[in-house]
Amino acid sequence: MKVVTGVVGNDIHVVANRLIDISLQARGCEVFNLGVNTSLEEFIDAVVETDADILLISSLNGEAEGWCRDLQFLRAEYQLRDVVFVIGGNLAVGEAKDSDIVPKYKSYGFDLVFHQVDLNTGLDALEQYMKDRS
Amino acid sequence: MNELLIDIGSTYFKVCSKEGISQHFRDFKKNIYDDLNTKCADILSKYAKEDTYICSSANGGLSTLIIGVTNSFSLKYAKNIAYNSGINIIDTVLYGKIQESKIPSETLDVVIIVGGIDSVGGFFDEKLFAYLKKLTYSNIVYVGSSKDAHYLSENIANLKILSNIITDKLKLNEGELKEYLTNLYQEDIVGKEDIKHLYDITSNQIYSTPYIVNRSLPFIDAEFDVVNPFIVVDIGGATTDIHYSRDLVRDNMLTESEYDRLVFKKLGVYKSRETLIHAAKNNEFVYELLAYLNVTENILDEQSEKALRILMQLSIFLVLCKVSRLNSVYVTLKLEQLKSIVLTGGITKVLTHEECESIISFFYRKIMNLHHIPTIVLDSNYDIWTLGMVQQHHQRSETCR
Repeated sequence: MKVVTGVVGNDIHVVANRLIDISLQARGCEVFNLGVNTSLEEFIDAVVETDADILLISSLNGEAEGWCRDLQFLRAEYQLRDVVFVIGGNLAVGEAKDSDIVPKYKSYGFDLVFHQVDLNTGLDALEQYMKDRS
Repeated sequence: MNELLIDIGSTYFKVCSKEGISQHFRDFKKNIYDDLNTKCADILSKYAKEDTYICSSANGGLSTLIIGVTNSFSLKYAKNIAYNSGINIIDTVLYGKIQESKIPSETLDVVIIVGGIDSVGGFFDEKLFAYLKKLTYSNIVYVGSSKDAHYLSENIANLKILSNIITDKLKLNEGELKEYLTNLYQEDIVGKEDIKHLYDITSNQIYSTPYIVNRSLPFIDAEFDVVNPFIVVDIGGATTDIHYSRDLVRDNMLTESEYDRLVFKKLGVYKSRETLIHAAKNNEFVYELLAYLNVTENILDEQSEKALRILMQLSIFLVLCKVSRLNSVYVTLKLEQLKSIVLTGGITKVLTHEECESIISFFYRKIMNLHHIPTIVLDSNYDIWTLGMVQQHHQRSETCR
């Protein structure tokens, strides 16, 4: 499976990004890591160039919300219906409940949302999702 | 130095020999070869063809159209390579919008098609062939996924196929396309009536001047007190180039080159004077700037030495504006981290260090809200160009050995 990953927006949490890269490779994925400070357009463009199966965006500074609002629009523009869109990390500034965060990001166009979820738990859930889909 | 170095600009010739550097204003009534022969006959006669090296930024360079599948990778990578190969005129078409894209009316020197990593195919279809049928072009090259290469070569006549510029890790691979474009530039010169006779005085490849300047940048601190990150601003008669350290750009592109180039086609002070004035009048800070320089806007309509100086100062200001956060259309450079600004080209023969410093101070105070400005270096003797030519010559000599 091909996965495009990176840290969205003005977020420079590179350690988490490296851990995600290593974990995905350990699970047999072909990883295209765009690194930190990546715009949503770059993520989408990387999916197009690589024909990736999954786009996994991470964010730790809580500002992903501001950077991901155009996902539905871009997803439709490039007709990326079969690509699974995942976001994980710390997805809000300050206190926030899962019950508020998850629906909000799903309305932006993400298929899976992991707010403050352990990395391996999230990747297990992603693997299961991909199995169920196929 | 036992070589003769000649730079053919759109407004000046620069000639560098062991006796020093001289420059000559172009006589536009003559073709370049005749003009050069008239003005530099003595020097030319002292050097053999194999010791004469020429670069040229005259004749506008190659016109290029790039068709790519995304802005962030295909188009960005191909554009980067083209600029760094010395190409000035670049238009792009995003493949997803190819049916709505306008058709360039003029003949294109080269069309570049790019898209996808090698393991992915199926990016292009009939829409591409229909679009190409409406174009007039001299060369066409494919530098995208190897999976699509066969399909495209079956459907596009004379398609040159080179290695993919996008690696399997989505990084940039510039080697083959850069060489192809550099060679194409040479072939273009050979075919151009105005300067093809230059090969009567040299047996070496004629390179484009921006390509040569780009090559000199890693060695620039040998000649100047320049600290990285720096930019080199080359304000010429027809175009203005910026060469910049990649440390100043915030993007995810990894290249072998530490320096990139950007061209502003219409900010020259002679051939594109009208468009420079137009750009100035549309800049919201220019009237304040003119007041700062103690002149009124009427100066822009004058043809005097003073007007030329003001125009050159304006061009420095406009170029910095275009790569600042004020303007997101072009590359945005982190100008607050800039340590040195090197000015080269005809501008260094007209403006003093103080005049350049004054305009750069205004820019940093007004636009960047900073009182500290980068070190300003004036390459008044065209040392950057000489450095690049010598480097190119040394590399060729090493290769031959």
